[in-house]
Order: sequence, then C-alpha cells, then structure tokens
Amino acid sequence: MNEKLRNYIDSLFADAPQTVRAVELKEEMFQNLMDKYNDLISQGKSEEAAYNIAVASIGDVDSLIAGLSEGRTVELSQSSRKRNALFISIAVALYILSPVPVIVLQSTVGLMLLFVFVAAATGLLIYNGVTREKYVKTDDTMVEDFKEWKQNSKQKNKAADAIIGSVWLIAVCVYIVVSFMTGAWHITWLIFLITAAVVSMIKGIFMLKQ
Amino acid sequence: MSVASELIRGNTETIILAQLMKHDGYGYMVNKAILNMTDGRFELKEATLYTAFRRLEDSGCIVSYWGDETTGARRKYYSITDLGRESYRLRKKDWETAEAIIDKLLSEGEGESI
Repeated sequence: MNEKLRNYIDSLFADAPQTVRAVELKEEMFQNLMDKYNDLISQGKSEEAAYNIAVASIGDVDSLIAGLSEGRTVELSQSSRKRNALFISIAVALYILSPVPVIVLQSTVGLMLLFVFVAAATGLLIYNGVTREKYVKTDDTMVEDFKEWKQNSKQKNKAADAIIGSVWLIAVCVYIVVSFMTGAWHITWLIFLITAAVVSMIKGIFMLKQ
Repeated sequence: MSVASELIRGNTETIILAQLMKHDGYGYMVNKAILNMTDGRFELKEATLYTAFRRLEDSGCIVSYWGDETTGARRKYYSITDLGRESYRLRKKDWETAEAIIDKLLSEGEGESI
C-alpha cells in the first residue's frame, strides 16, 4: 500500500519540472499522506478505504505544480559587456605597441619594456577571462545545471587559451629580439621547442585543475 | 458543507497561522489539529494546504525546516515568524470586522426598514 501511495504521488508529479523544490514538495506530500493513511488504519479503516480517503483528500494539485515552474529571469548586465570590450581593446593595443620601445631605444631597457607591455596585456586578458559573469541558474533543473557547468568549463578554457596565446606571442618576440641581438639564428629556433613544452605544461595544469 | 468550506476558504492562511501560533507543525499535524478542533466537520485539502504554506513562506510569515526524526520519516516543519504573528493579528482583526458586518447585514427583524 506504501508503494501504491508512492506511485499515485509520482503520477501527480509526472509533468512537474525536476527541481529541488518539486522533489521536496513531493516528499512532503508523501510523508503527510502516509501519516494520514496510517492514522486511518489505526482508526479501524480497511486498507482500501484508507487509501481512497487519503487520495481524495489531496484535491486539485494542478495550480500547485504549475507554480513550481515559475523561474526567475536573469538579465545579462550591459556594464559587464562594456568592461569586457574595454579590457580586450587595451590588451590588444599593448601587444601591438610592445615592440616600439625595442625599436626606439635599441637596448636591453627597450627589451625589458617589451616584456612589461606583454605581461600587462596578458594580465588584463586573464583577469577579464576569469572574472567574467558566471551563468546564473534560472531554475534548479538538470538543464540549467548543465548550462552552468558548460559555461564554467568554457570559462576555464578561455583562461587557458588566453595564457597559451600570449605565451606564443612572447616566444615570437623573444625569438626575434634574441636572434637580432646575438645573431645566433642557427640556435635560437630552439625557443619554439621550449615554448611548445611550456604550452603543454600549461594545458596539463588546467586539466588537472578541472 | 461545500458552501461552508467556500466561505472558510478565504481564511485558510489565517487558520494555518493560528495553528502555528501554538507550536511548529508539519502538514498533516496542522490539518489534523484543524479536523479535531472542528469535531471532524472541516479539513483542508492537501493542495490547498501546501499552496497556503508556500504563499506564507514566500511572504515571510512562516519558515520551514526538515525535522530529523529517528523513527524513519523526515517531515517538513513550519514555524511562524514575527512577521507572521503580526499578520495573524491583522487578519484576525479583519475577520472580526467582517464577521460583525455580515452578522448585522444578515440579521432579521431589527434595523431600518425599507
């Protein structure tokens, strides 16, 4: 009879969204219905009669269940999108301008400035990628959970992509600068092999984190 | 009975608040208290009960928590808040006003004649 009541409640919630709230309501209803059923049995009712009385006492649950799917709406803030655009623009400008000190100063100071520019630009991109607005669940359904998970993993990948991209750019800069300064073209290409190794390590670290 | 329950329906939330004024309770406990108090003449439908619980919880009149029963069943308890107590007093006053008006309007004999 326990099972019969459980099945009946399940059938009532067949069309309900799979939210935490719905599951809790279902559990609450089942528990109270069991209490009522047991009470009726102890009053001397037959199992059949107790079941019928308990089920009849539920009433119309349509509006109750319909109320479960009312989710909150989420607005993507305009300001965060503007901030994204600003950060990316500044970072790109810094990348483009980074060789200028080397060309103008023609010294190691210029080279150091190049690295400062690149580091600042990379820092901006990473900061922007990591602090991007997270996906907010509109409801507690599985679909929303999946969207949130997807968005979050995409964000982690974005941070990794930003770092890897900047590592390659830095490698190209280092290769050109070092090659011109030392003239050792026959050996400087090794920088790219080292970069490839570093990139693989960065990817590995991100995978471990996930 | 059905006409009477129609008349009572508007006061469902007040009735529940009145039960919770005494002590915390779960769904069936509240409904059983109502049934006993009316000598079995009135009982809320489960759907009505949960709808009222939810409305009261959303408006901050009550809060809920899961009890940890050692006897197996985990029940959801409701507890009245200060806001709920205030709301109960206001609703009760409203009812008393309405009751007085209806009594007057439905009374026979006395009063001005048309």
